[in-house]
Amino acid sequence: MSTQVHATVTEADVEQISAELGEPDWLTETRLEAFEALEALPMPSVIRTPGRDWTNLDALDYEELVDPLEWAEEKDRVEAEGVEVLSWAEALEDHGDLIEDHFGSVVDPQRDYLTALSTALFGAGTVVYVPEGVDAEDVKIRTTMNSRSLFNYTLVVAEKSSSVTILERQHTGEPVEGDQYYSGVVEVTAGENATVQYGALQNLAEDTYNFSIKRGHADTYGTINWIEGNLGSRLTKTSVETRLLGDGSESKIVGAFFGHDDQHFDLASRVWHEGEHTTADLVTRGVLDDTARSVYEGVQDVGEDAWDTNSYQRENTLMLSDDSEADASPKLIINNHDTEASHSATVGQVDQDDLFYMTSRGVDEESATNMLVEGFFVPVLEEVEVDELREDLDALVLERLGI
Amino acid sequence: MATLEINSLHAKVAEEGGERILEGVDLTVESGEIHALMGPNGSGKSTTAKIIAGHPAYEVTDGDVLLHLDSEEYDEEIPEDLQTWDLLDLEPNERAALGIFLGFQYPAEIEGVTMVNFLRTALNAKLEGREELFENDEEAEAEDDEEAGYDTSPMEGAADEGEVSVAEFQQLLKEKMEQLDMDESFAERYLNVGFSGGEKKQNEVLQAAILEPEIAVLDEIDSGLDIDRLQDVSKGINSLRDDQGTGVLQITHYQRILDYVEPDHVHVMLDGQIAQSGGPELAEKLEDEGYDWVREQVYEAA
Repeated sequence: MSTQVHATVTEADVEQISAELGEPDWLTETRLEAFEALEALPMPSVIRTPGRDWTNLDALDYEELVDPLEWAEEKDRVEAEGVEVLSWAEALEDHGDLIEDHFGSVVDPQRDYLTALSTALFGAGTVVYVPEGVDAEDVKIRTTMNSRSLFNYTLVVAEKSSSVTILERQHTGEPVEGDQYYSGVVEVTAGENATVQYGALQNLAEDTYNFSIKRGHADTYGTINWIEGNLGSRLTKTSVETRLLGDGSESKIVGAFFGHDDQHFDLASRVWHEGEHTTADLVTRGVLDDTARSVYEGVQDVGEDAWDTNSYQRENTLMLSDDSEADASPKLIINNHDTEASHSATVGQVDQDDLFYMTSRGVDEESATNMLVEGFFVPVLEEVEVDELREDLDALVLERLGI
Repeated sequence: MATLEINSLHAKVAEEGGERILEGVDLTVESGEIHALMGPNGSGKSTTAKIIAGHPAYEVTDGDVLLHLDSEEYDEEIPEDLQTWDLLDLEPNERAALGIFLGFQYPAEIEGVTMVNFLRTALNAKLEGREELFENDEEAEAEDDEEAGYDTSPMEGAADEGEVSVAEFQQLLKEKMEQLDMDESFAERYLNVGFSGGEKKQNEVLQAAILEPEIAVLDEIDSGLDIDRLQDVSKGINSLRDDQGTGVLQITHYQRILDYVEPDHVHVMLDGQIAQSGGPELAEKLEDEGYDWVREQVYEAA
């Protein structure tokens, strides 16, 4: 690796973090193994389009950014009836076995350099445990980042025939001098016939580098629906993924982003059809202004045994300025012919005929453009079942438009 | 009373070496009049319409497009120096504020923006835009002083949502939709999205009815309409003229709509110019005999 973060972080630091959280030995070991593996691990693969690597993760000065012992956050966890929403220390005490069963089972703790770094150093953590048969709405996890770096880990376990709606928010509290680093790992397990809707709205300060991986496993007739809104950060590297392992399982991945100034978004939505009769729907819409850049990759991977698959993907990026840049790479990999699938991606500017139609009715160009942008996000907002998330996302879009 | 006056209008496609389309159009439309503009495809009818409204795809190389207003337009006293406007100097939304309306041949489909939201925004923008155009600097200053003088203005509250409130607007929209025999559910649908060809045209007439233009230019409002809808749309156009005193410039290929919307004047456009003008009988003759005889007459005379 060109950048060696562990020049400033030691094994003793990892042990100290683990000890402070009162972790069992297996977990301390897992952290130490991840720490040792750093040297050999590659950076997360970035999205490439012909002739271009959009994101250079090696260029970041992790040594400068990462200060794992001095982490500070404010956590607001809102429980719903029947669901346990626990801090990491509480969860370890009450559900040690559950955590041991699931930790690292969905996201490989050593998936890549940045994930392993998160495994070794995370201090903030939340466990959402939804017991069998429980229906719960409005679980909320709000994270306010108050330090140079913050490593956040979330585990969601939804047992058989349960359902839960979770809303996660990240934003920055007290301003910290210099650049910041946020790293978030989310693992979701949806048991047989369980439904998890996980909505995340990232609005971190715009001098924050944000690395995020969210991944779920859906069992038979299980459903995992993701919503991911990205408005904040200077650079975001994120991937939202579902493995449809069980027969009849489903997943929807809905994304929305709005970049301005020199923000950079590297966004992926990925689904693997592995069981039979599975369904996936990937929908992302984004807007870019000023010199912002985005690159999107959507992957629909249909396995050999995935008979009777339905898989759909569409991505649209709207550019408001001549200096913004965007590209998209929708990928459809089909290894079973019994598949109905579609994929499309568009990148374009505001339609001049749409604009003229509106201005000719009396609306000035700026207001007309704002209406078009707000309207552009509507198909995505309509997919959001959580009122608070939809309203917050809409409010952030309006705020960015200056309305 | 308002008059739209087009003098010797020459225009081309706005790009280097762009095709010349208009070769000197002269046309005058007054409030309360209905003009039919006919002519073969490619003669410049739609281009004329778009230039009146300010479409950026065309460049005017010569001539002018003027709007003359009465001293008592919009129920307000208009000083003499603000009675004539050179539309070519104005943005499309400013032209709309003065009372120009273009009904599109192919209305845009705008996803995520409801009819009711768009139309109320447009109506308020039009009223506001008009105020700005007629507000001279002294008045603006006086108004600022006045506002500073009061802690709370009686207009406060309404200012945020515009001159026409949501409730008022919904009532207005409901009435106009009933008149045009449009289903109420259209109000909450996205602008023209998933509308049939006929519904889109009906929607154009509805928008005109709400914005109450001085001059409405309707580009092939009759194409793609079945007979029932043609009657609804015609009723809407007649009502614009009869109830609001709008002057209508109606571009059409067919005599058919003229049976329902009787024109005072009929013009034939050929090769970027008005080649012939007359009364309703001219439209009938065109229906029977086509455009060839006009062409022959024009080129014989030349």
